[in-house]
This record gives sequence, structure tokens and C-alpha cells, in this order.
Amino acid sequence: MEDRDTRRPVTVVTGFLGSGKTTLLTKVLAAPSTANTAVLVNEFGEVGLDHHLLRRVDERTVLLGSGCVCCTTREDLVGALMELLNLDQRGEIPRLDRVVIETTGLADPAPILHTIYADPVLQHHFSVDLVLTTVDAVNGPLHLDRNPESVKQVAAADKVVVTKTDIAELGVARVLLSRLGKINPSARIFEAAFGEVDVHELFRPGGEGTHAPSLAEEPDELHDTGETHSVSVTFDGAIDWTAFGIWFSMLLNARGEDVLRVKGLLDVGEAGPVVLNGVQHIIHPPEHLGEWPDEDRRSRIIFITKGVHPEELLNSLLAFRDLLGAQPLPLHAEQSVAFP
Amino acid sequence: MCVLCGQDFVAQVHWTDRHLENRARASGPGSDPVAFQGDRRRDRAHRVVLTNEVLRHYGLRVEDWGGSKYVLRDRKGRSELVQDLGSLWPAAAKLAGRRPDPLDSALCEALSAAHEG
Repeated sequence: MEDRDTRRPVTVVTGFLGSGKTTLLTKVLAAPSTANTAVLVNEFGEVGLDHHLLRRVDERTVLLGSGCVCCTTREDLVGALMELLNLDQRGEIPRLDRVVIETTGLADPAPILHTIYADPVLQHHFSVDLVLTTVDAVNGPLHLDRNPESVKQVAAADKVVVTKTDIAELGVARVLLSRLGKINPSARIFEAAFGEVDVHELFRPGGEGTHAPSLAEEPDELHDTGETHSVSVTFDGAIDWTAFGIWFSMLLNARGEDVLRVKGLLDVGEAGPVVLNGVQHIIHPPEHLGEWPDEDRRSRIIFITKGVHPEELLNSLLAFRDLLGAQPLPLHAEQSVAFP
Repeated sequence: MCVLCGQDFVAQVHWTDRHLENRARASGPGSDPVAFQGDRRRDRAHRVVLTNEVLRHYGLRVEDWGGSKYVLRDRKGRSELVQDLGSLWPAAAKLAGRRPDPLDSALCEALSAAHEG
């Protein structure tokens, strides 16, 4: 675990075209605390970013043999991150505190995670600790309706920044917030009127920020937003980590592209839980914690899927109960939000 | 692959193996290597038993192969060598002629029947 401490945190900033990624980055980079943050952007947009560690990358993807989109390697990122690592290790730049990768509006964040976790060198030096997604309060609802990529970006997010709330109508913004919460109940939501947001809070993994206020009329734990579903599950006891690995690796192989996101804490009968975090096929290296972060010592895991119905997942976990060593129970939304 | 011992140098540790890998690293130099090997062997044996419960439905069996890989066999004597759970499922799909799916209702019924029986 000592290697975990030395890895440089990476933040992936996604968001639909014109949703305010660059405006947000401009504000963020102006803060004194981000002096040693390197930024990789796809294009120098109209909003001038001025920062000494700014690098432009041309999106070059290499599709691997299996042909799945999320298991592609971004060669451009490998090159750019290696260059930063070399500069850092030769002492030519101060030690990097963080690398921020801005994606193009249409990009799926999964290949970026795959690139970092699959590269034999990068995986030991970088670790993605945060996926930030910007959603524009004015055009966001339209993007979510029309573009599946936009839903994927929200599902992949650890934090969602709702921008342009200053010019959106109050009602529209409220409905949008509730919708974001339904797509991804585990994400923390920030509002950024005029691009103003608390940089320190935003870049702290975990940290403050509120979960999307649910409009509270739907009491059930299964959320449907069109094709996207989310379900939170707990177990009536400790589960067998090996059995969970079998079930989940099998699920990802069969339905990987339909599992947009998984996030949770699992009680595996040890002193602390296992932190599970995955975007499509890409599973962050699971961390076995030494202790529980709070009083609640139950497993809690959330699945965000596309086309896979929550009941199917629950029935499957129920069928696997002998192997898992515990029975799955659906969790209510308000109990499920307390994720790390 | 190392030509002397036949071990692969696996650059990519599958997430299901990460737990043991981390424990091996955390133990550091000077710790008892045999204790870790015991854990690892137990863990692999346990995984083989559980995986076979699922693979039975597809007419397949998996065995530990020298503590470094797994060998997956069907009843016609065909076999595939796999590194971890990440490569096991595609190989199982190839041998079984269909993709093992935990949401498959027939598999769920078979596992539930085993629970009641």
C-alpha cells in the first residue's frame, strides 16, 4: 500500500459540448492551490486557458482486439502522462500535485480510466481519484434526452457540477437536479453559477457537496429514468469477496456495456470494507480499508445500468446467495447515498 | 514469459486478484514467504470450487494449473488455459458456445435449485 501514496491523483473532467468545462477549469487553475496541477486538454478553446503546465493532446485511440469501446487505450494520454512523469522525476517541474484531464464533449470517460489502469508504467504512478462531470443547467436536459454519451458521463461521475444556474430558470434547474440524482444517486452535486465553485472542495475526493435533492414523491428504491436504472443493494451479512468477484466479473463479461457504473462498500468479513468503484468494464483496483468510515457497517453498493432491469440484478444476486454467503436486500435511496 | 520457470510476467493484475497482490507487497522483505503462498493457494482453491458451481451449468470445469493459471475444460476434452477471471469468461463462452451470464434465468434457477436441494 505504500505505492498508493506515491501515485499522483488524476481528475477527469467530462461534460457535454458547451457545458462549461473550460470555464470551470479557468477558475480552478486561477486558484493558488492548483499551482502544481498539470492540465491535459483536447483543444485550446475560445476561452483562453493560461497555465504553465498546460498540454494539448490529440485524441488518438487504439482499439484493442476485443473491440469494446471502453477498453481502448488513449495513446495520446500515455504519451502526455509519460512526458509529465519524466519532467517530474527529473526535477524539471515541481512535484505534480494533480493532473487534470479534460475530455472532449463527446468522450466516454471509460477509455481514460482504462488507459491509466492498464498501462504497465502509468498504473504505478497515476491513479484516477475523481471523475467530474459538468452539466449545463440550460441545455443539460436536452443533452440528456438526445445523447446517450451525456447520460454515461453523469453515470461515471463522482461529482457533478451544474453550471450556468445563473441563467437557467429555477424550475428547470430543480427538475434537472432531481434527474441527475436519479441517474446517479451516488454522485455529489455542486452548483456553479458564473463558473464560481469552491475549488478546494471540488478536488477533494469524498468531501462535502450535497447529493441531489430527491423530489421525494417516489418512495421506491428502484429509479428508472428511461433506459437508465439504478439500484442500491445491501446484504444481510458479510459476503465472500471471491464469490462476488466471480459474479461481478461474469456480469461485466456478459453485460459490461450495460453496466454504466458500480460504486460501493462491501463487508467481506474483515476489519474494514472493500471499496468497489467501476465505470463500465473498468474497475478501479479495489481497496481493502483498515476500518469502516462511519458507524454503518453494512455493505452498500449501487449499480447504474442501461437496459438491465434492477430486478434482474437482485434475482441474480439472490440465486448466488449460497456462493456469496449472504442474501441481497434492496436499499432505499436515502440510505444508499452515504458512499465514500 | 520466463524461460526458466515458465512464469508469465503479468503486467496487468485483474481486479479480483488485487487483494492478494497487495497483501504480498505490503508484507515486504523479510516476511515469511510461505505464509503468503499458503493464503494464495487457499484463495485459488476456494475460487476454483465456487467457479465450478457456476460453470457446471455450462458443462465446464476449471482447475488450478500449477498455482499460476487455471485450466478450463469441457466434457469433450477441449481445454483453454486462462490467467484470471477476466480471461476465464470469454474462454468459457468459446467452449460452451454461449456467453455465461449471471442474469440468465436458467442459471439462476439451477443455482436456486441447488440451494433448496
